[in-house]
Amino acid sequence: MNGLITTIQRMSIHDGPGIRSTVFLKGCNMRCAWCHNPETLSRIPELEWIQQKCIGCNSCTEVCPTGAFLSTNGEIHFLKEDCTNCFRCLSVCYAEAIGKIGKEISPEEVFAEVEQDFPFFRNSGGGVTISGGEPMLQPEFTQQTLALFNQAGIHTALDTNLSISWKQYERVLPFTDLVLADLKMINDPKHQQWTGKHNSVILENFHKLDSSGIPYMVRIPVIPGVNDNEEEVQALSKFISSLKNMQKLELLPFHSMGSFKYTNLEIKNPMGNTEDLSKERLEYVEKILKQ
Amino acid sequence: MENSFIYQERIDHLRSRKFAQTREKIEVEGLLDEDDYGRVLPPANAWKSIPNHPDGSFYGLDGWKTNFCNMMETHPVYVDPKDAFAGRWVYFMSRMRSNKWNPDYPFDHLKPDFEKYDIISGIGDDAHFAPDYQLGLSLGWQGILDKIDHYRKVNTSTEQSEFYDAHEKVVKSIQGWISRHIDLIETLIAKETDPALKTNLEEMAEANRNIVSAPPKTLREAIQWIIWYHLASRTYNRDGAGGQIDEMLRPFYEKDLAEGRIDREKAVYLLACFMLNDTIYWQLGGPNKDGVDQTSEISFVILDAADKANCSINLTIRVHDGMNQELFDKSLYYLIKNKNAWPRYSGDKALVEGFMKNGFDAQLARQRIAVGCNWMSLPGLEYTMNDLVKVNMAKVFEVAYQEMMSNKSENPSTFKLWGIYILHLKKAVHAAAEGIRHQLKYQKYNEPELILNLLSHGPLERGLDVSDGGAEYYNLAIDGAGLAIVADSFAALEQRIETEQKTSWEEINYHLEGNFEGMEGERIRLLLKNSQHYGQGNSLGDQWAKKLAEAFTEMVRAESNSELKHTFIPGFFSWANTIGFGQHVGATPNGRKSKTPISHGANPCPGFSKDGASLALANAVALIQPGFGNTAPMQWELDPTLATHNHAQLIGSIIKTHFEMGGTLINVNIMDKDQILDAHKDPAKYPELVVRVTGFTAYFSMLTPEFRQLVVDRILQS
Repeated sequence: MNGLITTIQRMSIHDGPGIRSTVFLKGCNMRCAWCHNPETLSRIPELEWIQQKCIGCNSCTEVCPTGAFLSTNGEIHFLKEDCTNCFRCLSVCYAEAIGKIGKEISPEEVFAEVEQDFPFFRNSGGGVTISGGEPMLQPEFTQQTLALFNQAGIHTALDTNLSISWKQYERVLPFTDLVLADLKMINDPKHQQWTGKHNSVILENFHKLDSSGIPYMVRIPVIPGVNDNEEEVQALSKFISSLKNMQKLELLPFHSMGSFKYTNLEIKNPMGNTEDLSKERLEYVEKILKQ
Repeated sequence: MENSFIYQERIDHLRSRKFAQTREKIEVEGLLDEDDYGRVLPPANAWKSIPNHPDGSFYGLDGWKTNFCNMMETHPVYVDPKDAFAGRWVYFMSRMRSNKWNPDYPFDHLKPDFEKYDIISGIGDDAHFAPDYQLGLSLGWQGILDKIDHYRKVNTSTEQSEFYDAHEKVVKSIQGWISRHIDLIETLIAKETDPALKTNLEEMAEANRNIVSAPPKTLREAIQWIIWYHLASRTYNRDGAGGQIDEMLRPFYEKDLAEGRIDREKAVYLLACFMLNDTIYWQLGGPNKDGVDQTSEISFVILDAADKANCSINLTIRVHDGMNQELFDKSLYYLIKNKNAWPRYSGDKALVEGFMKNGFDAQLARQRIAVGCNWMSLPGLEYTMNDLVKVNMAKVFEVAYQEMMSNKSENPSTFKLWGIYILHLKKAVHAAAEGIRHQLKYQKYNEPELILNLLSHGPLERGLDVSDGGAEYYNLAIDGAGLAIVADSFAALEQRIETEQKTSWEEINYHLEGNFEGMEGERIRLLLKNSQHYGQGNSLGDQWAKKLAEAFTEMVRAESNSELKHTFIPGFFSWANTIGFGQHVGATPNGRKSKTPISHGANPCPGFSKDGASLALANAVALIQPGFGNTAPMQWELDPTLATHNHAQLIGSIIKTHFEMGGTLINVNIMDKDQILDAHKDPAKYPELVVRVTGFTAYFSMLTPEFRQLVVDRILQS
């Protein structure tokens, strides 16, 4: 079964041990305000407009049937609301200022693309990570892809928000060597406010994962003004201490490096004015959580 | 602890003095796109060469002997009381000629092809093979004189008699130069009031007195001996080849330790002074001829000393299956800590297996070590013309492309273009090989290797110059340059014209002739530039690169002649010629504009990969290795965010994997993008910033603006 991905990132060193290739699946059931991969949110292919690459040749305005590309004083402008994602502009933009985010791909094609880096995985203790978006929204593709790598003896990791029915996880975990499980916050109303989703299933799944025997690590995004206050951090700390088999805790400090992606997608960045998490604040959170 | 403080203070002083000397060179002599070297400025009343030919240059045995000996008589002496060793070099003697090739041995018949294909022929170029320092350390200067004396009685022709006379005089002039240093040191001892420095000078004087004739017996004497030979050789013709430094010095170090003459701290000091003296290419670690790893305690001492010196260091770590992991880890530690482009790494497996394919055994292949910019050599055993002979494959492409497009009676295609290209490339490679053969025939009448002959096995024994049958082996290097430009050009034409039919030969030709001017020109340029590149992995560009590499390899190999024992070995390397080569080539179908630099060595064009560039690079460069023992180096601009100590193992795994895949040499830069931009704007602000330009390191501030721009572009687009 084909999956919809945004990209396969080679030389990924932040999504599990060693050198890895991370497959980013497109589509997410959460809307975390701090998301630094907004291109993975929508479950359909969409158009990306990188203004800096545009040379103003007008090829796009000539083929666009809805007038979503406009030329004003020699400058091209993109009106997302008028775009119907027909992608006619894509093939005429030689400057690659227009991109299509979202590519249909089979597990075998993913395997073939990643295979060239197997020697690096073996020498570095790395492997492949399926991430997103939320990869468990495409469970069959995720399962088949993990199975292919698993059968080839390649270390596999699944990066998930743990919000999907546990039954789906049971399908993929036999082919998973490591789960990277995201934990945002314990306070449920706030969880819903900041991610658009309740956390009861997530917390329940954490305990199921804990007793599953599958190695896992917990990854907490630390977001200024969201979950870096003492009350929330203490709650997270308490929850983590209830987990018996967690292998590692990793804190992901908020950064604004992905903000250009919002610009390219012409969508509003909910935390566009938020400063990066300070080193001191991270140390404060870390101190409590790693007690 | 006290000694530690003294040594550190002295090393700091020597580093500062070196930076000051570099600044002086820039101010007086201008910028230079080459190694830093340890050379200092000549005096105001500088020595002038003595012509022996109507064209104003000097040639042959007599010309070189006369000039070298005359120059040595007045060569400045150099002693710094804080240095462990005496001596610096000041003259580029081989560049103090009006002409580098003796016009009595013309090669006019080769010039049309050299020009047509933009070939750097190497005719009249020198050195670029390695002396056997072990030979020098065991014989000493008197031992070399005795050897000359012995063999002049064996080889008695008039020409050979002159050959031995010339070498004898050269050795004696070096001894005279050393003696003049001893005089200066003794004068300084008399004046020195600091007891520690006085002791240092006394030790320096004693070491020099001991080795002016006899072979060295201590670590200090051994290093000083190497320095004298090296400085003489540098002065003679810029020779910078080193050897297996750790194993070479190990017996002296161990003996000194056992006899209580030295401790580890002092050894670090001595070796740091050695590193600051000049940027010689040394190999560290790696197997001996029987495959056993050569790492010993002094290998670590050398790394620690390099860290103290931390200048433009040219240490290469030999990576092999049985390597000392601790040495590898420590080398990574210093690579990351200093971010100063050292050390670099060579891959034993592919180098040894490749060299063996020339018909040599494993024992010999393991002795062919990293001692030059991009090159390997058998110390004292071969004449190679390494890194001297280059074919601009991008120019060859232009010739082939224009020939195809000028034939209006046939429709163009990449199939036809490849056929024409191959014919021209073969002619170009043959012309380069003919140039080498011309050099082998006449170099002795042009520029005999009077210094390198001394530490080679054969020239003195046979009474023949190393270029003229004196060497044991003639493993002759021809490098291809511009591989990525050619591969990407073929790929772009195939993809955009033949597969996608997005454009036509006529349209591309129109824009190539107009250098992609205008909006439509830029649009077509970007279409071509964004085609499948070499380096993306399983791309059209990769397929063309592989095909080209195989064709070039076969053509170079075909020039070999077993009867003459001429083995031609291919490599991919452009050295610092990327700018010059680019200036001779018009716009190319990979979207490159006219006269802009060609691609660097074996590397893909900058910006070839959107992500994972390190792995993509390592894969790509491994794919196109010629595989006969010469290198196609991976020039790695490593992202400073990756280059942290907690990622050392990941960096190490990329290095090892590249070598497992067939890679031969990795040159690494770890450069912060903001810093390099700032340094480009104001080089004087960063006098200590070292970059590995290609196989060599250089102070960034010493490079010309054009070359700085090239390095900046490479780093920004990595």
